[in-house]
Order: sequence, then structure tokens, then C-alpha cells
Amino acid sequence: MVETGSISILLSFVISIYILFASIYGVKSRKWDFVRSAENAAIAVFVLLLIATIALVHSLINLDFNLKYVALNTSTDLATIYRFTSLWAGQAGSLLLWCLVLSIYTAIVVLQSRNKDRDLMPYVLATLSVVSIFFIGIIAFVENPFETLPFTPKEGRGLNPILQNGYMAIHPLTLYFGYVGVTVPFAFGMGALLSGKLGDAWIKYSRKWALFAWTFLSIGLLLGARWAYLELGWGGYWAWDPVENAAFMPWLAATAFIHSVMIQEKKGMLKKWNMSLIIITFFLSIFGTFITRSGIISSVHSFAQSDIGPMFLGFIAFILLFSFAMFIYRLKDLETEDSFDSILSRESAFIFNNLLFLGAAFAVFLGTIFPILSEAVTGDKILVGPPYFNRVNVPIALVLILLMGVGPIISWRKASFKNLIRNFIYPTILGVLTIIVLLILGMRDVVAIISFALCAFVTGTVFTEFIRGTRVRMKRGENPIAAFMKLVSRNKRRYGGYIVHMGVVLIVIGVTASSVFVTEKQSTLNAGESMELRDYSLRFDGIEQYTTDAKNATIANITLFASGKEIDQIRPEKNIYKYEGNREINQETEVALRSTFKDDLYIILSSFNPDGSATIRAMINPLVNWIWAGGLLLVIGAIVTMWPSGKKITETAFVRYSVGEKDAAIRA
Amino acid sequence: MLKGKMKFIIAIAIIALTVSYLVYGGVKDTMVYYLTVEELRAQVPDVYDSRVRVSGIVVPGTIVKENDGSLEFQISDGAQTIDVQYEGIIPDIFADDVEAVVEGVYAKNDVFEADTLLAKCPTKYEDAESLYENKEASY
Repeated sequence: MVETGSISILLSFVISIYILFASIYGVKSRKWDFVRSAENAAIAVFVLLLIATIALVHSLINLDFNLKYVALNTSTDLATIYRFTSLWAGQAGSLLLWCLVLSIYTAIVVLQSRNKDRDLMPYVLATLSVVSIFFIGIIAFVENPFETLPFTPKEGRGLNPILQNGYMAIHPLTLYFGYVGVTVPFAFGMGALLSGKLGDAWIKYSRKWALFAWTFLSIGLLLGARWAYLELGWGGYWAWDPVENAAFMPWLAATAFIHSVMIQEKKGMLKKWNMSLIIITFFLSIFGTFITRSGIISSVHSFAQSDIGPMFLGFIAFILLFSFAMFIYRLKDLETEDSFDSILSRESAFIFNNLLFLGAAFAVFLGTIFPILSEAVTGDKILVGPPYFNRVNVPIALVLILLMGVGPIISWRKASFKNLIRNFIYPTILGVLTIIVLLILGMRDVVAIISFALCAFVTGTVFTEFIRGTRVRMKRGENPIAAFMKLVSRNKRRYGGYIVHMGVVLIVIGVTASSVFVTEKQSTLNAGESMELRDYSLRFDGIEQYTTDAKNATIANITLFASGKEIDQIRPEKNIYKYEGNREINQETEVALRSTFKDDLYIILSSFNPDGSATIRAMINPLVNWIWAGGLLLVIGAIVTMWPSGKKITETAFVRYSVGEKDAAIRA
Repeated sequence: MLKGKMKFIIAIAIIALTVSYLVYGGVKDTMVYYLTVEELRAQVPDVYDSRVRVSGIVVPGTIVKENDGSLEFQISDGAQTIDVQYEGIIPDIFADDVEAVVEGVYAKNDVFEADTLLAKCPTKYEDAESLYENKEASY
């Protein structure tokens, strides 16, 4: 299996180089056979990397400790599912996975457009192959997952117990689908620059792929947050850790891109801007991988440290220099076809949205690299912590929420006063009412009040849109449900977008409530004693211990009362792993969680003493479940947006919009 | 038309300035020096009462857990050692010989009063040395 894997990786490296030259030569000399063979080669690369991955998975599951990667990341006591997921627990394996995902995407791109856009696609393929060459090169020559040891240990080092969690098993995978996904729209952008075909084709493809990557980045971020919440045991889900920021930055830039790209589709504007944005998004995605994988910035969870850092920096420098050089070379072809009329228009709402997202990405970027930057400039290592990120990003986020309400329903070109009143009167009333109600209820936190009011405002605008659209259809004699369903299915992008926005609103409500209104308390209790926390009372019934094959566990038995009534039994745990390789985790905490839509009761067993007493830390985190529910809604919305239309519907849609699009096509 | 463009430039400038101001203010108010134990000791007495982050190795045998959950231990860089007092959540990987990062205030009595404690185990994943140890142990 080892030879099979190594040889597959080497072959895929060589073939990737072939793809680069064959596709460029083929399109330059109009020898389409070469392009076709490059495309077939891309599918071969996918097959080879799939074989390599299967070979590694086979070794992991069968615990072939002769392989260094297997010995470092698994152990005999590891459940089969985690033997499989340790494919992405370490450096070499996750880089192999990166390559595999990229080859899957490349194969899909090739299959989707075999007979379309012949002048553009070879360059897209060439760009994808350059990225492949870099990553496959690393696993072939530097961080080879099939590196063997000169002896075969009897036991491996095992998987970090905090990674043995269902969310952690899929979180990196979803994040990689997102990270790698960003490569594809970037490749279309570069393909457009290289070929000079800067018309609608690259925008159409890259919009879809960017949306796809964005959806996976969103899922990855949310799963990561949920993992941190359940497993790290400090009661929060987001700490502005460099590794979290690494995924958040490309998400911010991609969000800006999928918004502004609509302006180019509809109006032919912002061409330079969109091209820069997709380059920046890709840069942040690679930079994110670099931060995570190089361990350059001290982080609470840089799981991997190695010397691939300089290679990444070199690659990043090459990408940036090359793409911006191409960008400048094509600058005159990226002229805008239309101009802005008014600052009160949907176009300008999009512009402000973009600037703010980019501003946030820049602020996060700066905060993340601040230690390196300050050390280089002043010689002192200076950090900026979570307060910095909150101070900068909270105001930006609030304005973005406001724009999320305004953008979708303000008129194109120039909004009249009448139009503003008509569209915004009810949402504004809703927002103001929210402020009044919250003040009456006794809430005094300004940021929270503004945040909730803006969420109400956005909800108002979205509902106005749904109601208005449904009503128009009902006037044609459709019943309300049919009218609503048709409204959404005929305008998937638009109404899917609104659903995504509603998901974001739920997330913002959850984040606001759970970051502003946490109640926390720590007590040391003897058996039978209770601690009070708002309406809740926790009675500590004693310590209980048990052992399994893998661990010695200590449980605190706690009976939970709400307003004097017994409602639940909760059991936070402390685990000591038996196996040597896992000993570095001295005592692993398993929090106990009682989760409802009102609040989460988050209980940690901080420590326990020989006399049977225990120190319990308890938190009430309000509305945390809204975050996960919002995430789900966001994904549903994204799926609606991306759902392919039936053939018939595309045709009618084409007729309906063809006038504007034809114009744009002629001009392009 | 120019007037319209001017408006945009002004609006964009306002956004850029606001974001820059937020970043500037954020950095100014929240920045924390990241020091080794030796650097911290070298800056006495200037460093007293200012907020810093210090990293060092936890000196084996110095960890004392109080009944109320608070923690006392020492961290060292090999040459210098400081006492740390901490109250809060103890990371799972915190133990003897682990690299600890503490953030807080170095008080005049030479005790570091930490409110943040991070623990790192950078050797865990990509270090093959222990495999060799493992080998010796098993033969």
C-alpha cells in the first residue's frame, strides 16, 4: 500500500506539470487535442490522488505503524472512525486531503465545461494545475504521508482526545471543502486575465463556485465554534484565535465577493474590484492554511508545526505578484460599462457592504499578524487580544446588519424619497418598537439594544419582501401557499439570499445575547450542598468514578432545579486517559450541557478533592442555540440559492431578462 | 456627475477613516507585550502593574491547587523563575513541564497575577523522537 501511495503522488505531481504545459500550449497554438489531453490528465490526477488517499486510509485503519504518519496519529486503542478521521489530524494527511479535494473540484470543472468556453477553460485548468503542483509537490517531497520509519513501533502516539469528537471529525473536512473551493473562482478570475476573455463567462462560473466555497466555509466555521463550545470547556465558542481567524478572513472576503459580483452580472460595473476581491480571497485562503499549518503565530491550537512555512510564503508571494501583475496588464479591459448615479441606491449599498467586509478582513488580518509585525518593526513581540477584535468588528458588524436590511430592497440607480418611505416604513417601526420594548424590559446594554433593533429591522424588510411578492402572485389567482412556493422557486437566488440573511439574523441574535448576558459562578461544594444561579439551583450529589478501556473518568452527579422544581440530572466529567500517548492531556474536561432555545446551562467540573468535594463552574449562556439554528437556516438558504433550475424555467427566465443581458454581452 | 463621484469618494473616505480609527484605537488600548520570563525580570521595576503576557515552562512539582479551584505554580525559562497565581478555567493540557502562557499583571511582591492561562504542547504531533523512546521501551 505504501508504494502504491507514494507512486500515485509522484505520478500526479508529474501529470500536473504536464497539464500546465499541455493546456497552455494547446490553447496558444489552437491544438485542441492537447487541451483535451490536459483535461483527461486532470481526471487522472483525481484518480491517482484518490488511490493515494485510500492507501493512507487503509494504513491508518490497519494501524501500519511503520508509516510515520500512522504512528504519530493513531494508536491501537483508537476507534475505527477516528483512525479514519486522523487522515486530517496531522500535517501530511491534511495536505493530501487538500490535494484530493482540489483534484475533485478540477475534475468537476473539466466535466462541466468540456465543450464550452474553449478559449477560457485551458487557462482556468492551467491555474488550477499550478496550485496543484505546489501542494502535491509538498506532499511528494517535503511532508510525505507515506514516509516510513526505520523500525516498526509496537504502538502509535494516538489521537489527541480533544480531537476525538464528532464535530472535530467533520469540521476540518468542511473547512477544507471551503478553503480549497476558493481556489476555483480564483482560477476562473486568473483564466479570464490570462486569456483576455473578461466577459460574462468567468463571472458566471466564479459566482457559483464562490457561493459553494462560502457555504462550506460557513459550515466549517460554525462546526468549529460548536466544537470549541462543547470540547474546550471555557464556555465560549469564539476566541479570536489565529486559527479561527485564518478561516474567518477568507470568509469575510468571499462574502464581499459574492455580493459585488452581482453588480457586475447585472450592471457590468466593478470589474476591477471583483477581480481584486477574488485574488484577495484566494490569498487569504492560502494564508489561512499557512497560519494553521506553519504554527508561526502562537496559538492555543496550532496542531502542527513544521518547516513548510518558507515554502508557503514563497508561494503566497508568487501568487500575489503574478496575479496583480496580470491584473495591471489587463487593466484597460476591465473598464466599467456603467457608472454610479446616486449614493442612495442599491449599487452604493453594495459598495459600502464590500468596503466594510474588506475593512473587517483587514482588521482581523492585522490583529492576527500583529505579533510578527511588531517583532519585525520594533523588536518587541506585542499581541492584541480578543478586546481588539471585538472593538473593531462589533461596530462594523452593526453597520453591516443595517445594510443587510437596506441593500436588498432599496431601488437600483437612485432611490426616491417616496420609494424609501414605501419600503422602509414598517421595518423601521419594527426596529424602533424593539428598542422601546427592550428598554421597558430593563435592558441597558447599548450594543445589545442596537443589535437586536437592527435584527428586527432586517427581519421586517425580509418579511415585507416575502409578503409583497406573495401578494402579487395571489392577485393572479394563486392560493397563498402556491404563490409563496412559486415566488421562491422562480427567484431562487433572490429569495434564497433572503433566507441566508434571516439565518445571519438568528446568528447575530444568538451571538449578541450569549456574549453580553452571561451569568457565571464557581463554587466548591460538599455532597448534598447546592449552588444558586439565577432561577436555577444545582445540587451536588457526589463524585462517581468509572473506568473504560481508554480512560479513568470522574463524574460529578448534579441534580438541576429550576424555580424549585427538579428538571434534570447533569454529569460533567473529568477524564484521565490511560494510554501513554494521550497523557499530555492531563485531565480532559467533558462539560455537561443543558441546552434549550432560551438558554444553555453550561456546567464544568473544575476539580475534585479527596474529601469528596468538587469545584463546579456553572454558566448560563442565553440563546446560544439560535446560533446553530441560524447556521442551519443559512445553509438551507444557500442551497435554495444554488439549487439548479429546471430547464423550462431557465428558458423563460432567459427570455425575460435577455434584453439587459444581451446588451451587456455586446458591450463586453 | 462629478458631484456624484465626489459624494462617493467622501463616503468611502469616511468608511476608511472610521475603520482605521477603530483599528488604531483597538491596538492602542488592547496591546499587550509578550515576554519571556527573562525579559520580564529584566524589566523590573518598570513592568510592575502593567499588563503583560509571559510564557515559560511549568516547573515540575510547583503546581498547587487550592480548594476553591485557584491555582499557584511557577514558570521558568531555565534561568529565571516566577511565581504565578491564577484563578479561572484550567486548560486540559496544563501540567508539569508544559509550556504555559499567562496573561495578567506582575505585582510588586513579584507574584504574577494571571487571569488568562493557556497551555501549549507543540511536541505532540510532529515530533518523532518519542517514537524512538517508544521503541526502546518496547524492546
